[in-house]
Formats: sequence, C-alpha cells, structure tokens
Amino acid sequence: MSFTRRAVKVPPNSASLEEARHRVIDFFKTACRSIPSIIDIYNLDEVATVAELRSSVAAQIRKNSHITNIKVIDMLLLKGVEEFNNIVEHAKQRHHIIGQYVVGQKGLVLDSGTKDQGDSNFLKNFYNSNYF
Amino acid sequence: MGLGMLASRVIRPTAAKLSRSSSLHFIRPIVSTPETSSAQSQPQPDPTPDPPPPSPRPPVGGARVHFPNPEDAIEVFVDGYSVKVPKGMTVLQACEIAGVDIPRFCYHSRLSIAGNCRMCLVEVEKTPKPVASCAMPALPGMKIKTDTPLAKKAREGVMEFLLMNHPLDCPICDQGGECDLQDQSMAFGSDRGRFTEVKRAVVDKNLGPLVKTVMTRCIQCTRCVRFATEVAGVQDLGMLGRGSGEEIGTYVEKLMTSELSGNVIDICPVGALTSKPFAFKARNWELKGTESIDVTDAVGSNIRIDSRGPEVLRILPRLNEDINEEWISDKTRFCYDGLKRQRLNDPMIRGADGRFKTVSWRDALAVVAEVALQVKPEEIVGIAGQLSDAESMMALKDFLNRMGSNNVWCEGNGPNPDADLRSGYIMNSGIAGLEKADVFLLVGTQPRVEAAMVNARIRKTVRANQAKVGYIGPAMDLNYDHQHLGTGPKTLIELAEGRHPFCSALANAKNPAIIVGAGLFEREDKDAIFSVVETIAKNAKVVRPDWNGFNVLLLKAAQAAALDLGLVPESANSIESAKFVYLMGADDVNMEKVPSDAFVVYQGHHGDQSVYRANIILPAAAFSEKEGIYENTEGCSQQTLPAVPTVGDARDDWKIIRALSEVAGVRLPYDSVGAIRARIRTVAPNLLNMDEREPATFSASLKPDCSQKMSLTDFRPAIDNFYMTDSITRASKIMAQCSATLLKK
Repeated sequence: MSFTRRAVKVPPNSASLEEARHRVIDFFKTACRSIPSIIDIYNLDEVATVAELRSSVAAQIRKNSHITNIKVIDMLLLKGVEEFNNIVEHAKQRHHIIGQYVVGQKGLVLDSGTKDQGDSNFLKNFYNSNYF
Repeated sequence: MGLGMLASRVIRPTAAKLSRSSSLHFIRPIVSTPETSSAQSQPQPDPTPDPPPPSPRPPVGGARVHFPNPEDAIEVFVDGYSVKVPKGMTVLQACEIAGVDIPRFCYHSRLSIAGNCRMCLVEVEKTPKPVASCAMPALPGMKIKTDTPLAKKAREGVMEFLLMNHPLDCPICDQGGECDLQDQSMAFGSDRGRFTEVKRAVVDKNLGPLVKTVMTRCIQCTRCVRFATEVAGVQDLGMLGRGSGEEIGTYVEKLMTSELSGNVIDICPVGALTSKPFAFKARNWELKGTESIDVTDAVGSNIRIDSRGPEVLRILPRLNEDINEEWISDKTRFCYDGLKRQRLNDPMIRGADGRFKTVSWRDALAVVAEVALQVKPEEIVGIAGQLSDAESMMALKDFLNRMGSNNVWCEGNGPNPDADLRSGYIMNSGIAGLEKADVFLLVGTQPRVEAAMVNARIRKTVRANQAKVGYIGPAMDLNYDHQHLGTGPKTLIELAEGRHPFCSALANAKNPAIIVGAGLFEREDKDAIFSVVETIAKNAKVVRPDWNGFNVLLLKAAQAAALDLGLVPESANSIESAKFVYLMGADDVNMEKVPSDAFVVYQGHHGDQSVYRANIILPAAAFSEKEGIYENTEGCSQQTLPAVPTVGDARDDWKIIRALSEVAGVRLPYDSVGAIRARIRTVAPNLLNMDEREPATFSASLKPDCSQKMSLTDFRPAIDNFYMTDSITRASKIMAQCSATLLKK
C-alpha cells in the first residue's frame, strides 16, 4: 500500500458543495482519460469497450448522487481515488476489473426478457445449460 | 532418529528371540510369520476319512464350471473341501473354482501356460516338493493345500527372489496402486530381503509411441511375449539371454507394430510396460471410472473411461466375453487425447467475411430455423455422422420428417442402403459365434484394420481349430494363415459358379462363415455383389437353422442403429440438389457435391473436415460426455455413460435437435431421454434390449432377385489409416504419432 500512500494525499475538506461537485467531476474526467491505458494494462479490449467502462464508472458515481453531506462526499471521493490508483498502478488483477466493472452488478441476474415467452420449459432449460 | 535406526529397533527384538531359540544366530532367517517357523517341525495331522464337505466359498470372480462331458468330472480336494472340476483343468483352475485365489504372475487365463514365475506354488499331498499349480493338471482325488506353512514359505521365497532384482521405485512407477507385484509382496512376501549385492539394470526398449518400457522392473513373466505371439499375432517380442542376463525385447531395434499392442500394458503384472501417453499423469486411485462403450469402430468394445475432473485420462478394457473378451484395440485405448483438441465449444455463425463469430444458442437456433423454413421440403437433407447415438438419429429423422423431407441417412451406409432385412447388415453369427466356424471367407473386408477385435477372434479360431481363411480384396497383411483368393468380383463369380479351388473347402466345412465388408456399401453395384455372395452362401449351406454364417462387418459405430431406425434416403442424389444440409457429426461426406448456395449446418463436437464448409456450427457432446445407445455390428445394443462434463456451451445431440424443432415450429414430442427411448421403442425395440444380442428374424433368402449388373473393378480398402478414422481420432496427437511411425509404408 506504500504507493497508494504516496499517490493519495488526503486533500483538505471541500469548502462548499460546489467545490465538492467540481472535485468529483475532475475525478471522473481523470478516470475517463485513463480508461484506454487501463484497457491496455488488463487486456480488456476483448471484453469491454471504452464507452462501456466509462458508463460503468459514471454509474458508480451516480449511485451516490443523492448525497449532500460535504464530508461524506469527500470521503467517498477519497475512496474512489484510492480505488482508481490501485487500478492504474496494476495492484488489481484482470478478473477484479471484469467482475466489478465489466460484468458489473447485473452480472448474475438472469436474462428475463420477453424473448422466451411461449417457449416450453425444455427450451428455456436448454438455453441455460446442458444439464437439466 | 534416522530410518535405519528405526528399522534396527524393530528388527532387534526378533533377532534376539531367534538367537535364543537357535544357536545359528548368524543366519538372518527370512521366515517372518511365527506359525510358519513353528508349524514346520510338527507333522501334518492325517485328513479325516469322512467325505469332505463342498467348498463353502464361491468361485473366484463368479466363475461357472461348464462340463462338456459329465463323466469327465473329477473330484479334487482344496484345503479339505471337495470340488468337482472337468478333466484337463489345472490345479490353479480347480482352486479358483473352490474359491481360493492363488497368487500368480506368469499365468494368464487367455494365454498359454509358461510356469516360470513359480508364484503359484501349492502343496499337494504325496508330492515331495510344492508344485506350480498353473502348470499341473488336476488329477482325481488330489489333495491340494493352499494355506499350509510349506506353501506360504514357498511363496515368500519366490517373492524374495523376484524382488531381488526389482527396483524400489514404486513412488515414481506408473503401475503403483495397481501393481500385482506390489499387492502380492504385501500379501505373501517377507518383510525383509537378504540380498545385499547390486541390483541388475536393463536397457529400456523403444516399442513405439504407445508403450513405455522400464525394463529394469521386468520380472520375466513373459506374458507380453505370449500375448504378442498368440493373441496379437506379431512375432515382435521375445526373450533374450539366460539367467540374470535374461531380458524381454525386440530382437533387433524395432517398434511393436500391432493394433493390439496396448494390451501388453494391462497384462504386465509390474510397471515394466506402461502407457506412454498416461505416464506421470495420474495415480489410479485418483481416477473416476465410468463404464462405457467404444465408438471408434463398429465392434462396440466395452471400456472403462478413467477421468479426473473434466479430463479423460485413460481408457481401459472391460471384460465382455461376447465382444472384446478383455482386450481393446490401440485406437480405442489411446484416442482419448483427441477429446481435448479441436473441440467446438460455442455456437458459431460464419459471417460475410468467411470467419466464424460466436453467437448465443438462441440466435443460432433462430437462424437455422429461419433458413430451414424458407427452403422447399425436398431440398432439406440430413446426414448422421458415424459417431451418432441412436437417440439423436431418431430425433434427426423425426425432425426432418416433420419438416417434410425424408432425405436422411447415416454416412458409411452408401447411396442405397438396404434396411429391409436386418440379416443383410449385421453379423449374424455374432462375434463370439465366429469361434465355431471352421472356414472363413472374407469378401472385401480387412478385419485387421476395420475391426481389430473381430480380427483377434478370427485369429483365435484359426489358432484353436486350424480354421481356413480365404480372403478376397486388395493385398494385405492378415496376421494369421490365409489364402489370398483374388482381388475383386471376378473371384466371387468363380466361387459362385464353383470353379474356384476354395469352393471345396467351403463345401466341406461344418460351419462356414462368410464375412462381407461394409466398404462394399459404397459401391454402385452393391446389390449385385451381395446377391453373388448370397449364391455362394447358398451353395456352401452357410445359412442353416442351427448356424448362420452370413455376416456383414460394419465399419462405423452408428451404422447398425441407423439402419434399424430406418435412416434411408428417399433418393440417392438428394445432396446434389440440397439447399439446406444438416450434418450431425458427419465428416466423411463429400462436400464438393453440396451446391455452393446450400446452407450447411454442422452439429458436432470436433472442428473436423465438414466445418470448413459449414455456415453455422452447433456444438454437441462427444461419446464420453453423453448417454447414448449404440448398436454394434453383431446387433447388440449397448449404452455409453457420461464420464466428464460437456465442453463449453455444448449440448447433447438429441437436445439440440429437439430445441431446434421447437424454434422451427415443429415441436418434437419428447423432453427427456426416457421419452425419446419410448419413441425408439416404437421404431426399433431391439435397441432398448441393452447388452443383449438381438439376432435377425428373417434370413437374406427372402430378398427379391437382383437384376443389377456387376462391375469388375477390384475391391478397395475401406480404411486407409487404421489410427485415424473419425473426428476424435483425427484430432488425436497420439493417433497422429502412431500413423507416422507404426503404419507400414
């Protein structure tokens, strides 16, 4: 963790909500700029595109959009910066990135579209696996 | 504390006790069991004159005794119990019937008796020395004792001699865990040896890509030599030297060129001959065994698939007296590495650029169904591959029939298969029944490469009854005495008209057998040839109520079941006008005949020949991954069981067709293996009589006369390369090595 300590300095608290918002946007921009090199580091080009990763990062930030407490925002931002540094420093492995950002939260949710409606149970099972 | 000190601590009390009892304390006796040393001095009590009771133990391995002549039965006594055996049996066999398993190394029930390991020594009353039970015929009233101190001491002594020159390398030996020497030295050996000299070492021999040799481990039981000369019929192996210089080897530097060479691995009681591809891969106790069926030829050899996790690690034979006895061919045994290469694991569609792109099952089936519904029904063609199981062929035929097409067949059955009379395409005398024959006529078949186990059976018959073999076909090296009568239909006509000298042999034979190769199915004049062969059969009285010697030797595992299920094309040339071709694992189809605008679906497990032409790939399960019925060439249906999980996103063959039928709107009415078997029952109930040979009801004499003209072109070999005949063996690296080194050029 020594490099993280080197890289991440705890910034002074934001003075206002506006400053905190700017900091978050700056962080998002930095993250977006380094997505191509992250794809390069972790060989993600066959599983994800830049746009997908960008929207994945945006989704992580939007998840906390309801928070108005400046201290909490600063803390979450610090965590985000820490995570981001770990990623660009190659402190993670490929499957961490894939699991968290490519497959994402919806990864294990089954495809429950309207496509299978009217199919027999056999066909539904067939699409899932060979063993039923 | 070192091991040596530990050992000396263990030894010391015994040594002290012994030095007390005898003054010769400088001798380290080998005898370890206390009753052995004590019982030696006291005389044996005389056996009671009462009639001894029959043996309470069941025979070893559930063996049953068959008395050809009831008056030939003799009574012997094993360990005080009486047992009745037929005359001519050996003492060892009598003991087995009495339920006593005698330790042995050189004795093997299917090989000649050598009697050189001496492990099977037993005590027989009124003989001065222990006798080698494997070589001693049982005589009436013989009193055999297998559990006396004398017999135990003899075994202990033999074990000590055998272990004298045997290396202590069990931890790195592939036989470890299934080694006869290991087991028997634990059971019968002494806990120490007196040999302190240097052990001998023997140079390893190169027997080819299949059999690994560590000749220092050899105990000179000569099982492999006897197997090679007697069963495999090659004189490659032999015994060289005498005394401690004795070794097994090929006389000159030479590879073992037999299609049954892998069996020496099984019969070797020690780790001298082990499997080269399996070397250092696994220990036998880590493996899961699955009892299954071989599909690389039409014999349907019974096999055990040993797997660890998702990987097939080796294939071993299972005992089935009617089919493969206890041998399997090298192709069966070593094809398994093909199951790991070139596998199809995802549904794929060929894009506009000619490259395959992975898609989901949903999309793949939707595309296939859409194309299938666009073409005219008569332009749909379905071909089942040579490795297809009966369930998937049933589903394929039902699916195509529901689409309105009846152009469905199995590759290898030729353009005009005749599925009307079952006797016209199965081996009517059965594989085991061939042993009753005394004259063989092989027509256009090369059993040595087409069905090695059938060939071994013929060889066994030739050796046992001096059966005569006449062979019509291209020149080949059959490993038994035979007369090469000719190369083509001309000889057949001579035989039918009685002008050939071999006719007298056929006419004088008690049980003549004619074996016709399924390679002839591909000929245009197949019906004419079969009618000539039937004339020969009629003249030689080959088909009688008590004996049916008219046999067809099939080539592929799926052929018999396909004909039973009626996979017969409506027209022979349907493939040339096809717009939608469904290949279910069919790789030997001539793809040049398929029109260039046809849509080709390939459903299979290997990226083999047909994939180059396919427009869409549906990955399926290989025989080691699915449950499926296969019918062998003698009409015996057997089933495979899944040993390993399927690869990637592959599915069972019949499930793919069932799912496709639903997407295409012609839903097949079965959802489970049980349901599809119920459907098979309505078409060919014999396929569900598992492990039972179903003979044909009507003989070929019912056939209408044939008006076809016979061409005089010679028969061609049906198989060019014994080691590579299907998609699995073609993907196998070991099989490629074999065809590079072992095939005679």
